[in-house]
Amino acid sequence: MDAIQDPTLDMLVARLADGDRSTFTTVFKMLWPPTLRLCMSMLKNEPDAWDAAQQAMEKILSRASDYDPRRPALPWALAIAAWECRTLARARTRRREVSGQTAAEPTVDGPEEAVMQQNLVQAALAAMGHLSEKDRETLVATYWDEAASGATLRKRRERALARLRRAFRRLYGLD
Amino acid sequence: MDSIDHVERRARMRYEGARLRRALIGFAPVLVVVILAARFSQRPSSALGFGLAMFAMGIVLLWYGRDLKRAVLPGIAAGLLPLVLVLCANHVKHVCLGGTCMTLCVPACAVGGIVAGLATSSVGVRHKSRVAFWLAMSALALLTGAMGCSCIGHGGVVGLALGFGAGTVPGLLKGLFSGRSHARS
Repeated sequence: MDAIQDPTLDMLVARLADGDRSTFTTVFKMLWPPTLRLCMSMLKNEPDAWDAAQQAMEKILSRASDYDPRRPALPWALAIAAWECRTLARARTRRREVSGQTAAEPTVDGPEEAVMQQNLVQAALAAMGHLSEKDRETLVATYWDEAASGATLRKRRERALARLRRAFRRLYGLD
Repeated sequence: MDSIDHVERRARMRYEGARLRRALIGFAPVLVVVILAARFSQRPSSALGFGLAMFAMGIVLLWYGRDLKRAVLPGIAAGLLPLVLVLCANHVKHVCLGGTCMTLCVPACAVGGIVAGLATSSVGVRHKSRVAFWLAMSALALLTGAMGCSCIGHGGVVGLALGFGAGTVPGLLKGLFSGRSHARS
């Protein structure tokens, strides 16, 4: 099975988005393992990963009606889950900082995690596809550290990033 | 940590809640039509009653989704035809021909019903839809039209329903015969 594009999952999520409740349990069972794995790999802590995965599954399925059937379902779902993990990690970090403890940043390693990372990159690339050519060039140059410095370019980069965030939110419903 | 079943149940509740919220937000503009119909109707309470029934039905259909969701827009659009026709006719009050005078409410309802019936049946035949789709679309069209047709009590609504029924006959027959010809070939 292709980890990024699973036509069966895409079709089932599309049916769920249309209101076909008979697919709910199957979709839940297909999405739960990769979501939990992603949260485990990002949070490195089983109870935190379980909490994040539960919240992510609730968010993914509450957003199921917004799912765009032209896009692969797994990257869409994992983008929501990754956001949930980051939110939880940040909240825990803040809490630990208050109590004087140090906390690890969410990291990704290992072959399974690499696949997850690939899904997330695909989700981000899908969001980038909604930007103008100029914005894409700016962001790619920034990524490869090729962007020239200067106030104008910094502003252009900020605007491109803001538009990328908006596109990401629109596609994956994250706020 | 909760059990998987518990997580699934909570996710299902969130899914249904989100669908309901989407349906409410998506159908909210129709409330403007209900308010306008009640404002310009001769019987605001009846118009409001039919309007709220139509609103509740639209929400349920959008929440449920699938084929029924797709019946909402054509149903409302078809129902707007008799509604606008009757609200306009109500401003004329009555017409006198020879020695007899009559209100335009019932004829307008009947004519509007025929047009709405023709419109819904053409959509139904074009989409080769199931009975549930036809029923949902017809019910929404009738409830929308009934907001205006309550002008002289039940007579207007009956006129609308009869007109609607007559309007759907050609479409039903077309659908029936095309279904049979498909079955033979």
